Amino acid sequence: MKQAPRAHVQILIYVGLVILCFAVLYPVMLVCKKAFEPGTQFALSASPIPTAFTLDHFSQLFTERGANGELLFLRHAVNSIVVALLTTVVGVSLSCTAAYALSRFKFPGRKTGLTMFLVVQMFPATLLLLPLYVILNKLGLLNSVAGLVLVYSTTAIPFCVWTLKGYFDSLPRELEEAARIDGASPWMIFRRIILPLSRPALAVTALFSFMTAWNEFIMASTFMTNQTKYTLPVLIQSSVTEFSADWGLFAAGAVVTSIPVMVAFYVLQKYLVGGLTAGAVKG
Amino acid sequence: MSTVVRQLRDFSVGAALCILIASAAFVGVRNRELATRQRSLADRAAAEIAEGRTLPDVRAVIVGPATPSPKRPYLKSRQISDGAGWRPLTATAAGASPDDKLFYDAATRYERETSARSPVRRDGAELDDDATILLPDGSGRALAVRPIANGLAMALTPPARPAPYPFLVLIGVLGLGAAFAAAGALVGGRAARLGTTAGIAALAIPCVLWGSWIAAALIALVGLGLAFAQGANLTDRFAAGVRGHKTALGFLAPAAVSMLVLVLAPFVIGLVLGFYDHHHGTWSFVGLHNFGEILSGGGRALDDPLNFWFIFGVTVLWTLANVAFHVTIGVALALVLSRSWLRGKGVWRMLFIVPWAVPNYITALIWKGMFTGEYGAINSVLHVFGLDGVSWFSSWATAFSANVITNTWLGFPFMMVVAIGALESIPKELYEAASVDGASGWQRFRHITLPHLRPALGPAVTLGSIWTFNMFNVIFLVSGGQPGGSTNTLVVDAYRWAFERGERYGMAAAYGTIIFLILLLWTVFGSRIVRSKGAES
Repeated sequence: MKQAPRAHVQILIYVGLVILCFAVLYPVMLVCKKAFEPGTQFALSASPIPTAFTLDHFSQLFTERGANGELLFLRHAVNSIVVALLTTVVGVSLSCTAAYALSRFKFPGRKTGLTMFLVVQMFPATLLLLPLYVILNKLGLLNSVAGLVLVYSTTAIPFCVWTLKGYFDSLPRELEEAARIDGASPWMIFRRIILPLSRPALAVTALFSFMTAWNEFIMASTFMTNQTKYTLPVLIQSSVTEFSADWGLFAAGAVVTSIPVMVAFYVLQKYLVGGLTAGAVKG
Repeated sequence: MSTVVRQLRDFSVGAALCILIASAAFVGVRNRELATRQRSLADRAAAEIAEGRTLPDVRAVIVGPATPSPKRPYLKSRQISDGAGWRPLTATAAGASPDDKLFYDAATRYERETSARSPVRRDGAELDDDATILLPDGSGRALAVRPIANGLAMALTPPARPAPYPFLVLIGVLGLGAAFAAAGALVGGRAARLGTTAGIAALAIPCVLWGSWIAAALIALVGLGLAFAQGANLTDRFAAGVRGHKTALGFLAPAAVSMLVLVLAPFVIGLVLGFYDHHHGTWSFVGLHNFGEILSGGGRALDDPLNFWFIFGVTVLWTLANVAFHVTIGVALALVLSRSWLRGKGVWRMLFIVPWAVPNYITALIWKGMFTGEYGAINSVLHVFGLDGVSWFSSWATAFSANVITNTWLGFPFMMVVAIGALESIPKELYEAASVDGASGWQRFRHITLPHLRPALGPAVTLGSIWTFNMFNVIFLVSGGQPGGSTNTLVVDAYRWAFERGERYGMAAAYGTIIFLILLLWTVFGSRIVRSKGAES
């Protein structure tokens, strides 16, 4: 470990890493190539370098119109943004006080509560898919933003509780104790001390909830059957069904919808790993 | 605290629960009654229009068969007759009403369903299935379809509102119940508990009137349970607990209540649905039938892709293969990337976590595209190396491999990042001391690196195995279960029962329950393993 291996071993390792890296990035390169290459076929050669250049797929993506003449991409993007934003607001606002209670107070059932939030987070969303579908169908909430937000909140709330609790645990308690001696109520301590201190953690949690909702596919495709109500993942998937596959359109859509979340992911990934493993270790 | 106040406190908690039960019972009964009434009205009207007569208020029409357009055979049109002769059934034609689309869709759907059920009946003469449904738009309208000589007779009832919620009745029985409970408390002793039971039981009266015996029995049970809890002083202790932790519970309430409503309620409903069968919009109680059918394999051979045990085997194999690949590749890369002499660590790391950053439905679709076709990207790469192309989705082994390859690509970065974190936390002095003592490279790995990796990797593996077990998008979008559904895993198959095999909601719900039990066993069991390993090191 201390002394470096000989030069040719090092070179071999670098070469190995480059090859592996190429293999890992290959699918991504292919999609980027396809987005700018004419034609609807996915790939006709193994080369990830485009032979011709066009922006047709993007213009097709942005200008496609639905049955009533509305711009489909714009409509679906708005749906996605609204659903993801509402999910984030619901998730963070409902869970921040609970995370604080679980981090600071001792009460019977605290441990059970924590485990429940963890277990819910681990169980597959597809498990609740059917009952939620039946309920939303009864309530007439299929094809509605509200229904999808409710469904996404089932995963967003436990996630937010765990990440925020992890952050609150790391805050020093001295400030709160001082405030308590000065006669502040628990709610005032939370509002005036804890919340301002946790702004970065709140932002990170919010962004993750947003990304999760933004990237969700199967719930959206089950609950949103009306084309004007699609979210972006459903739009992208519907461009490459068994019956008609336009891979150029798919690639353009994939590039446009992935780039913002990928940037966010890179900015935030160190928090994600910390939160996930902390939850699993302490649970 | 006075005994009466205490009694009323306990009563109000029990009553709140019972009002919920009674409301659910009421809504169920009311909807069933409305559906039966509207459906029989639609049925009668459809029979009448078939004979050329009409019923008042019911819109009855005859919809002709779909005839292909002469120019474009894939465009079909229908004719409609509502007593005043035939006219084309389109959205734009004169005299079109908003119901026209409803009739058109119903005709198409009816023909599709009847021909799907039995191809023999395609000739029309044998079409004797009557279909009557309550429209799912909440308007309370029912639509009946029955085949006649020159098309389909259809009847659409006017909208109907279900009976209003019986506030007065419920308030009345609540008052009566409270009076019983308070009277019992005033007498004191055993009469107090009797009063509670009687008070709660008063709420069962309307349920009995509505004919909902299950709800009545449940309410009676709540009453008995509450009286027992009072006898054992449980209610007092619970109340004291709530008072003592008022702040904590207040902070917890928003998330806890929303979890109860959004997760627990659907979860319980899912459990219950597993005991029902769903067919053409009606539910019927079948007890353990669904579970029996699933766990016995439904009389299918063990290598039938619909046999639960086959799918279970595929799922286990899928989870094991993926986790093994994720951990091996992740740890191997982490070991290389944490070498102290390696340059550009940050850049390598950034590049290798790209697969994690790509949304997974996009990953799955990309790989689907790469595997598809004789000259797809993967086959082209094989050609470059002089190998033959593979038809990936036509045999089980290759289709399964395609799924595993996709999911390995998507999942190894997580393990890598966790392993790098663990490796970076190992004190350098340990390795130096080991070198001084003359430990070989393998010995250092075996006795320093591995024990330090374990505590971090353990939870990551538990988490990773659960994620893989639950992975839906990759299987659904890459192989899509091909060939013949043989690469479906449990979660995908549960989905297909609900949404692709004639809305077998009951089967899907029973699958969900079984999946839940498997996961529960695995989390309990898996975290045990992790904990014991953690204790060792």
